Formats: sequence, structure tokens, C-alpha cells
Amino acid sequence: MGKLKKKYTEGASRTYTTRNRALKKLQLSLADFRRLCILKGIYPVEPRSAKRANRGSTKPTTFYYTQDVKLLSSEPLIAKFRHHKIFLRRLQHALGKKDFTRAKSLNSHRPEYTLNHLVIERYPSFTDALRDLDDALCMVFLFASMPSVKRVPKQGIEECKRLAAEFMHYVIFTHSLRKVFLSIKGIYYQAEIQGQTVTWIVPYQFSQRTPDDVDFKVMATFLHFYRTLLGFVNYRLFTTVNLSYPPKLDEILDENAAGLGSLKVESRRVEDIIGNVQSDGEHDAANNAEANKDTSAQDKAAMERRLGSLGTKMQAIAAADSAAPAYQVASDGAGLHSDDEDDVARAESLLFGKQVFFLSREVPRYSLEFIIRAFGGRLGWDSSSGGGSPYTENDHAISIQIVDRPVQGHRFLDRIYVQPQWIYDSINANRLLNTQDYLVGEQLPPHLSPFVEYAQGDYVPEEASRMAAAAAGFEGEVSNLKPEDRDEPESEQEEATADNVEGESADEDEQLDSSDDEESDEEGDAKAEKQYQKQIAAEHAGVSFSEYHQQQQQKKKIKQSDNSKSVKPRGKAPKRSKAQIEEEERQKMAISMLSRKKRRVVNRAQADAYKQSKDANAL
Amino acid sequence: MGAAGRSNQRKRSAAHRDEVAEEFPASSGIDVPSEPEASSDEDDNVEEGDFDATLRMMADDQGFGSDEAEDFAAQDSDEDAEDEDEEKSEIHSSDIDGASSEEDEEDEVEDEEESSVSDDDKNPLLVRAASRSTEGQETVVDSDEEAENSVLDGKDIDRLTINDFGRDLGSWKEYRKTLPQIDAGYASDSSTEEPVNTIGNVPIEWYADSLHIGYDIDGKRIMRPATGDELDKFLDNMDNPDVFRTARDEINQQNVKLSEEEIDIIRRIQGGSIPDADYNPYEDTVEWFTSQTMQTPLTAAQPSKRGFVPSKWEHNRVMKIVRAIRQGRITRGAPVSTAPQYFDLWADAEAEDSVGTGRRQRERLAAPRTVLPTHAESYHPPGEYLPTEEEKRKWLEQDPDYRKRNFLPHDFGTLRTVPGYDRFIQERFQRCLDLYLAPRMKKKVSHLDPEELMPKLPDPRDLRPFPSRESLVYLGHTGRVRSISVDPTGMWLLSGSDDGTVRLWELITGRCAKIWDFKDTVYRVAWCPSQDSCIFAAAVGSRVVIVIPSDLCDDNRLLVSEELVKAGFGSAAAAETDDDSSLPVSWDMPTSTEQASGMHVSIAMHRTVKSVTWHRRGDYLATLTSEEGGSSVLIHQISKHKSQRPFRKLKGAVQHIKFHPTRPWFLVTTQRYVRIYNLMQQSLIKTLQPGVKWISSVDVHPQGDNVIVGSYDKKLSWFDLDLSMKPYRSIRYHSQAIRQVQFSRKFPLFATASDDGTIQVYHGMVYQDLNQNPLVVPLKILRGHEIRNSLGVLDCQFHPIQPWLLSSGADGTIRLWM
Repeated sequence: MGKLKKKYTEGASRTYTTRNRALKKLQLSLADFRRLCILKGIYPVEPRSAKRANRGSTKPTTFYYTQDVKLLSSEPLIAKFRHHKIFLRRLQHALGKKDFTRAKSLNSHRPEYTLNHLVIERYPSFTDALRDLDDALCMVFLFASMPSVKRVPKQGIEECKRLAAEFMHYVIFTHSLRKVFLSIKGIYYQAEIQGQTVTWIVPYQFSQRTPDDVDFKVMATFLHFYRTLLGFVNYRLFTTVNLSYPPKLDEILDENAAGLGSLKVESRRVEDIIGNVQSDGEHDAANNAEANKDTSAQDKAAMERRLGSLGTKMQAIAAADSAAPAYQVASDGAGLHSDDEDDVARAESLLFGKQVFFLSREVPRYSLEFIIRAFGGRLGWDSSSGGGSPYTENDHAISIQIVDRPVQGHRFLDRIYVQPQWIYDSINANRLLNTQDYLVGEQLPPHLSPFVEYAQGDYVPEEASRMAAAAAGFEGEVSNLKPEDRDEPESEQEEATADNVEGESADEDEQLDSSDDEESDEEGDAKAEKQYQKQIAAEHAGVSFSEYHQQQQQKKKIKQSDNSKSVKPRGKAPKRSKAQIEEEERQKMAISMLSRKKRRVVNRAQADAYKQSKDANAL
Repeated sequence: MGAAGRSNQRKRSAAHRDEVAEEFPASSGIDVPSEPEASSDEDDNVEEGDFDATLRMMADDQGFGSDEAEDFAAQDSDEDAEDEDEEKSEIHSSDIDGASSEEDEEDEVEDEEESSVSDDDKNPLLVRAASRSTEGQETVVDSDEEAENSVLDGKDIDRLTINDFGRDLGSWKEYRKTLPQIDAGYASDSSTEEPVNTIGNVPIEWYADSLHIGYDIDGKRIMRPATGDELDKFLDNMDNPDVFRTARDEINQQNVKLSEEEIDIIRRIQGGSIPDADYNPYEDTVEWFTSQTMQTPLTAAQPSKRGFVPSKWEHNRVMKIVRAIRQGRITRGAPVSTAPQYFDLWADAEAEDSVGTGRRQRERLAAPRTVLPTHAESYHPPGEYLPTEEEKRKWLEQDPDYRKRNFLPHDFGTLRTVPGYDRFIQERFQRCLDLYLAPRMKKKVSHLDPEELMPKLPDPRDLRPFPSRESLVYLGHTGRVRSISVDPTGMWLLSGSDDGTVRLWELITGRCAKIWDFKDTVYRVAWCPSQDSCIFAAAVGSRVVIVIPSDLCDDNRLLVSEELVKAGFGSAAAAETDDDSSLPVSWDMPTSTEQASGMHVSIAMHRTVKSVTWHRRGDYLATLTSEEGGSSVLIHQISKHKSQRPFRKLKGAVQHIKFHPTRPWFLVTTQRYVRIYNLMQQSLIKTLQPGVKWISSVDVHPQGDNVIVGSYDKKLSWFDLDLSMKPYRSIRYHSQAIRQVQFSRKFPLFATASDDGTIQVYHGMVYQDLNQNPLVVPLKILRGHEIRNSLGVLDCQFHPIQPWLLSSGADGTIRLWM
């Protein structure tokens, strides 16, 4: 007889540990443990059998991986927490004794900790960090628009504001914004950064009421980590596009509420880069004394060579810069990669590249300034919504004025007055939409979410199908619609061209439809030949005739349904035809042939499909 | 008077008792302890400076001042008496003295009046003093001159002591009154000035309407002094050279001229310096304990070591700090970090990553991303996304945790009307909670396309022919049609019903050719499968009737049939059977009327006959009765009119019996199993276990290797006899019990009839190649029969030649499906 094995020495009870056990092991208070979990990104898990994991107990418990708890135990932050605890005790003692000098000196030596090591630990590569940036951005943008609360003092709010502005500057600089959405909760932005899709939401700028049912202690802990993360991400993003970090804050502009303009984004100076290289060299030397001396020296030489050429370019740019308006950041840094002319061309190729906007005081500048600049547009704004506007209202360069009021009093004849939704819809459609529907006082078309992807059987709103149809027509005519030169002030013409394009596209659609029929008559033989070949191919592939026939039928059906959809998207559910009933019956019979397991899966899938269709039908 | 001063004074008074008695007015009145020597001179000066004020006060006080002086004297003498008093008590004592002296005052005032009148001549000194006192009263009128005189007088006077009077206290008292007023000075505790008017803190306005302005110390009214009108006042002011140093005493309604000293005080206050001109803030220190060693020390205790040895603990503490400074632990101000806050954190990480030297860790599950907003969340959504009033109400009533959406779609129309979202922070917080409190697990979500799971079945259209639509309905039966049978030529259809009739139909036309009325439930009808004969058997009540429908068949077949059926009568075998009383069977000749209608033999049994089935040759017939045990299944030989009991005993209630189509096998179906017996060897070959609760019917594929079993629990099981005792395939389609399963003899088809009113037709192809599994494809669901009393289709039969199906139902109809 073998040795009796002790219970709970392996298996689930080893893999998992309960929260209380973890607390005991780490000798931490619950609050500290939670803070640590937040910072380290440790999450509870759900074992397959809670009873087995909890040594036979079925009490509702929170489980963690034992490995995770082990990882926590070697965390240097724990010691920092303890130091802080001791510090607080001392401070309190000193204050209690009214020993203010000691309290002051204690406070000046307040133990601080950074979370730098956690960022690299949680996100070993930069891509990982980008992938997980959504929550960080949402949080930082939220606190950037909040008043300071007890747990997040003014200093933290200021940092959030700065980080948010820096990030927006990067998005503007790289033109990486993709989608925007005006929701009732706030404004969603989606950007594509180094291949990663990053989405964040910014609340509408109203004074936020700090609610009572929110534990700001938790929020502050998250924010601390997110701030650190975003700081490092910003640094990396800025340096990859050769911008200096941190950007300089123009305090005068900042006081005048110049918004994004108050941060001066500049390309990295040559000295900086050299300095970095040197420091890198030193760093290398410190790390591995002799190992790669040769390589580092080579690198250095190569870098210096590159920098030499850079310097000449920079001079050229500096000369160009003096002529260019200061707010145009794009021309600053992009010059490092390409020539100035290329840059201008690139800017003009963007959606709003050739437009100059003016924002009335009632539109949300904090959002519009960001997105217009991210799409290459230039803009000015009313002085009441902040200083530092490069254009005044009566500047004749302005082509589009964004207003959000029922009636516009005084109008300049050489510009169009549109409502802000036009900007957002245009960005989502990735083309300049017809302004006719968006003029001042017009009933706006519905604003749709750009994040919705339609699966088969989903309900497609009328507006979406209309836009899709328009976009399809637009693609063929891309070359025709070039924004006209600003020298001639005729915006009507532009509209007219846009109108024409859309009209044409619609026509073309019809033509396409009709051409199908015509073709069948004219090229009947060729078609029959083609079909025959297809049939043969199908036969080779082992598809029976009936199947092939069916496929063909289905294809036709889909085509028809598409057509009918485009014509009448919200028709009533048509009466089921005989064929459909038969098909359903066959489906049912086929299901009856399945094993019980598979049948269950199929039934569930069908139930889901049914639910989806029900939802779609409800709309 | 300070404590030190007092104690000083006490010492002195102890030391020079006599001297004090001599010079008490000066030394006790103005007491400057620090400079006892100099004080006397200064006192004199003060006395000089203050003199006119003193005099005026004396005049104002009308004798009270002298009482004061007397009080002081009394006080001092008291002090002499009570030798070692505490300071506090001394202060008290002065108060007490003050109180007690008040009592004396009245007497003394009286005394004074008396003495001033009567004792004028008693003593020259007294006379002088009295004259002085009268002069003092005059000073109200002409104070300046008098003051000068009195100062001189005061200097000149040889002051007498109490000793000079000896026992004559009365004269001492008198004399005392003549002495000049003592100015207490600012250093004094007690104020010499007491207001004449005793109204206290009451506003004088209250007396504005009355003739008096208050009361004096005796409670007598003080009448309002006469005042002139404004003009007089003005003139007075003009005349008075001292108008600028005159103040108004409201309480006493008098103008008071401020003395030089008072003005000096005012000036000092205005200048921000100490009001008392005499006070020296920078006095020299007095060494109470001298540095010189006294011959007799004050205390005899040993001096403490602490006094001359440096403290060890202090030293330790200092050294601790010193060490900390040396080690750099204590620095001036907070340490300033020079490192930049942010740097390229991933610079090394990525190089390392490429090498692959990373600690192996459990794969972290990234938190699921938040779901992106749909159109419904738009500030201006399409109209169809807006909730109706009903939906709104429902949403509001719903528990927030169970809501499908955490917001209510709303159309704001324009961007300017969009308000701030009030639950923004809460939602962010909720997300935070989800991130660190919600358990994360990898859940396998099958992204299986259900289409993929679906069996790759050939299209039914490729498997034609099969019955797919209803083409004929045979109407006539009034009860449920329990059984139907098609004759081997495929021309005639036989049906037995609950209404007690067996009907013969022309299959193609639906014409009812003949009716046999048995007046008893017909459970089953069955054509003899032999092509040569034309016989059918019908289970009617508790007997089986063998019928030859003579109109239908040609003479040849009729002859063969009749021969077969009638040969048994009177045969030895039949006699044997008759003898065998153990079998509950009797072969009877039907009545003549019955014979006329074609019935030739009637096999009577004890119980109801449930089922009748022919052997493929057409000579043997098996019956199933409702009794228990072995005698429920009997096999009858028609040609010999002989019955056999193949099973002595049988387990379970037999549901169904069937001859195997190719082999000498016999299938007996109990509630849960199908047993296959070899009749030749009289042995059990196989037991099929379909795994169902209650088998209803069984059929064997014409080739003999496959069996289908239908059950009341809706399942159809396909058995391959070569393979396993368990079903090769179970199919469940019907929603109600399966009543009948049937193979087609000619086509690869089979059908199931069910109580749900449907017939399911399958393609059941059995291949010659033993390696290839039989192909089962559902082809068609036939609907048409009505459901009566939860009974649907009761029987179904394939046409022997055509791919047609016939079915009978509880609704009394028979239907032909082509």
C-alpha cells in the first residue's frame, strides 16, 4: 500500500487561493491588497469547481491564482506601503504633540513611490501598452475635465490635463484619428496608433458633479497608474515621430484658454538627440562594460552622420517655419521625414486639408479644434471661447463657419454656415458630405455610430444604407471632387459638384441594375457558356447538381434581397413562400439527424439568430 | 506693589521698626523697593510735583483724603503687628482695612467737626493744622498760590510721630488730619480718587430731567450745579486761559482742569510710551542670590551631579544627528531628483524580448474591452431607436442591474442642447470595479457555424422518387382505421377499423369494392404475401378470420387459395391440434353467410388478437394476443390448420411480432428489447437494445440486415444487425409517439407514422458494400391526417410496386401519398 496522500496538497486547491488566505500570507490590509491588485493588474479568477479550490467549502469566496499572490509577495511596493504607513503614524504623532517643525520636516521627507516598474512589467512591449490604452485614456480625459477632489488634488488634475493635451497633439500630428461619435454620454474618438485601435470617450465639458456613491480612493489608484502609463506612452509616441517631450507650455496662452494651442509641440533639437545618444552610450557602458563597445561606437558614428544631415534639413525647416503660421504643428516635425512640399501636399490630401474653419462661440471648441486639426484643417474661433485664435471672424480665408444656433444673423457670403454634426459625419464617411442637410436651422439627418458593423440579418438604418450607397458612388468619382482653390470665393459651386456626384452615383447604381438584364439578352450565349463551365467546375469539386443549383438560387436570392433592401429597407416580414417552408422543414429534419450534443449547439445558435432577428424586427 | 517690594519692605520694617514709625508717610506711601536710598529724594520730588493736584483732591474729597491717610497709617501699623504674613493675606488685609476703616470714617468725620470747633486751642500744632485744613478748603478758589504755600508748609513742618502724643490718641487723630494728603501714586494699589457721585456706571442722561445728578456717599442728593446757557459757556471758555487743559467730568457735572502731570500722562500715552514717568523699564538687576559664596548656605543638600556633569543622553542624541549628517541621511531640504519623470521605458525591453529571455509567466488575460456604442447612444439617433412611452416606463421601472442598456435613448436634435451625462463618473467607476473585482476566465465560445455542424446530406430532390404529396383520400370508415394492407399486386387496399368493418378499396380510384362487417373491432388486416394466392387475414376481436375475396382474383389464384385454406379441414394435423387442449386455439368453419362473403376459416382464441403477420411464403401466420406469457404468440399453419406455440414462456409483455423477410427468424418485441429467434434451431440469436422506454413497432429491411424500431417515446432507431445491438443511428423528429415504422419493399425508403399527425419519409439506402454505412436521409414530412383524441396516424404501408405510401389515421380516413 502506497503512502496516503495528504489532502489539498495539489490540484485546484493549490492553483487557487482565497482572498483571505492571500491577505494573511502577504500581511497586508484589505485596502492595501486592493491597491496592489489594481496597480499590478491582478484580477480574481473563477475556478472550475469552487468547492475543490476552497478545500471543500462552498462558501462564496473570491479566488486568486496562487502564483499571482506569490508574485505580489515579492513586490517592492509592499515595503513602500509600509513606509508610508509608518510615515503617517509619525506625522500624526508629531501633529498631536504640536511639534510642527518635526511635522514639517517629516512632510518634506514624505516617502514617494513611482510605478515605472509596473508599467514595464504589465506591458512588456510597447504594443501591449497601446492595446490596453483605452481605459487609461478614458480615465485621464475624465479627470482632465473634473474639479479636484480630495483624493485627486489639483496637481493631479493638472497633470491629467497636460497628458490628455499631449496625447491629442500626437494624434493631430500623425493624423491618426479615424472615427468620432457624438453620443449622449460624451464624445467617442477612435484613433489608429501603430496598428492598434484606441478608443476613448471624453465627457461634454460641463462642470462635473462629484457623486457620493463613487469611491474616489479606487479611482485615484487607477488614475495614478494610468497617468504613469500614459506619460511613458506619450514619451515614446512623441520620440518616435521625432518630437521633443515634454512639449513646452506657453503659460500666457494657457491662461487665455487657448486650449490645445497652449502646448508648443516642437521637433527634437539636434543637441537633444545627441545628448540622448551620449547618455545612451553611457547607459550602455554602465550596463555591459566591454561587451559591445565596437557596435555602440559604430551606432554612434552612424547616428552622428544622420544627425549631420538632419541639421541641414532643420535649418531649412527653421527658415520655412518663420514664414509658416506658428500654430501649424504639422509642418514642424514632419519636415524631418519628408520635404516641405511633400508635407504641404500631405496636409492638403487630408479631409479638411484645404478648408479653413471658424467656430462660433456656441460650438464645443475642445472637440472640434482637435478633430479639425487631426484632419488637416485650419481653424479660428471666437475670442469669447478662448484666446490665441489665428483667424478672426471676418477673415476672408475662412471657408466654413460652424454654428449651432437656430438662425444666423450676419452672414459672410463667401463661406458656408454648417452645424457641427457635419464635421463628425464627414469624418465618419471619410469624405466631405453635402452641406445641404447641415445648414443652419436645418433639421439634421440622424447621427449614426461609426462603430456598428452590420452582420447578416442585422437591422440597417435607412441613413446608413443611404450613406453606404452614396459612398459607393463616391469612390468611382474621387478625382472629380477636389476642393476648389480659396482664391475664388464660390462655395456654392463646391456644393453643386458634390450634389452632382451623389446624383450621378445614384444614377449609376440604377444603370448597373438594369445592365444586368440587358446583358442577359445580348450576351446570352457567353453567359450560358460561363455557367456551364462553372457547373463543370462545381462537379469537379464534388458538389452535386442540386447543391449547385441551390447555391445559384441563393446567390440570386441574396442579390434580390439586397436590391429590395436598398429600395425598401423597413418592409414588413414577407409571407413565407413555399420554398422557404420546405427549406425550413429540411433544416428541421437535418437537425433531427444530429447527435444530441450537436443538436443543442445548433438549437442555441438558432435561438440567438432568432433573438437577433427579433431585435432587428423591433426596430 | 510687587511681591519683592513687599517682602523687602517687611524686612526693613522688621529691622528698623522705629524708623518706619518716624518716616511712614513718605516711605510707605511711595514705595520704591529697588532704591531705598534714592527713593526718599524722589519721593520728595514727586510730592512736590503732585502737590497742587493733591491739594485739589483733598479739597474735592472734603476730608476723605485725610481718612485715607489714616487708613494707610493703620495699615502700616497693622503690618507691623502681624509680622510674618503671607503676601496674599496682606492684599486681603488691605481690603479688610478699607472696609473696617469705613466704619470709623463717620465717627472720625464727626470727630473732626467737633475738634475743628472745640479743640482749636488745645495744641498749637493742632491750630496750625486746623488753619491748614481751612486753607485747603479755600484752595478751591485760589489753588495755585495756596499750593505753593502748602508745599513750603509741608517742608517746614516738623512732623510729629504717634509717640510724641503718648497716650493722647484723640489729639493724634486730630493732628493726623492736618497732615498733607498722601498721594498714592501710580504704583499704589488703592486709588485715592473716589467719585463723589455714587451712581456708578449709570448714564448721567438718566438724571437729565431731575434736579440732582446723583447721590453722595451718605445717600444724600447731589444737586445739579448751576450751569449757564451756551453763551455763558462760550464766554467762560473765552475767558478761561486754561480752556485747553479742561476736561468735563460728566458724572459730577463739572469742568476739571487737567494738571501738568495728567497732561504729561496723556502725552506719554499718545506717544506710545509708558504712562508712568517714574517707571524705568531698564532697571538694573538686583542680585538676590549673590555669586559670592555665603558663609552659611541656604540649603544643606548635596549639589546634584547633573549640575556639573554633561548629560549622556543629550550627547547620544547629538551624536545620532551628527552621524546621520555624516552619512548623508539628513540633508537640507527635500532631495531634488534630477532624473526626468518620463523616459523611453521600452528601449531595453524590446531588445530583450527579441532575444527571448523573459520570465515565464502565466498568460495574463487582458480585460475585455468596453462595448462600443451603437446608434441608439447617438445624441440624434434615427427615430426607430427612440423608445416609446411604454418602453420608457418599463425601463424606468426595471431594476438598474437588469436593464439591457444603462441609458435611455433620447433625441436632442442639435448639439447645443445636449446636457452633460450625469452618470459618467459612475460608469467609469463601474468599469474600474470590473477591472479589479470581477473574476476573469477564459470561456470557450464556439464560433462554430451551425451550418458546419449540419450533416452533409444529399438533396432530397436527388433521391426521388418518394411520396411527397397527398393524392387520394379513401373515405368511408366511421371509426379509427387501425390497420391497412395492400395486396401483393398493388391493386387492392384493405383496411380494418374500429367501426367493426373491413373494407376493400380499389387503390387507384378509391372505390370501396367490398365491406365485411364483423361487428367487432378489427385490429389488423394482412394480405397473404404470396403472389399465387389471394388471401387475407383479419384480427377481429378474439379471432382471426381468413378471407378469400373471390371477386378480385382470377380463377387460378382463387383455386390455389381455396385449396390452401380448406385443405386443413379434417386433416390429421388438425385433429392433433384439436386434441392438444393446452393451446387456446380452435379452427372453426365459419357460418354459411360468412362463407358466402368469402370467409373460409376462423381461428378462435381466448383473448383479443392484437396482431397478425404472415410468413413471406404465405403458409404460416403468427398471431399476438393480449394474454401474458408464452401462449400470447402463436404460429398457425394455414394449409394444415395447425397451431404451434413457439415459446413456452416469454419475458415481458410482447408488443410486436414479425417474421424475418429472408431468414427463418422471428422477431419478438417486448417493451424495451427486440429479440430475434431462429425458429429452425429454436434459439435466441440477438437482442436489440434501442434504449427506448416503450417500443411500438419494428420493421426489417427487405434485405434482412437492418431493422428499424419505432417507439412511443418519439424515437426512431436504425439497427444494423451485423454491427451492434445498439442502434446505429437514432433519429428524433416527431413530437408525438411513433405508431408505425415501415420499409418499402422495392425502394430504399422507409416511413414513420406518428400521433402528431405526420408521416416522415426517409431515404434508407443499404449498400451491398459492407464497408459502407447505410445512408439515412430524411426526405419529406407528410401532413394531412387530423388528430383525434390525441391519436394521429395509426398505420402506414408502402405500395409494393410504386413509390407510394398509404396511411390510415384516427380520423377514419386513409390517404394515398404519391
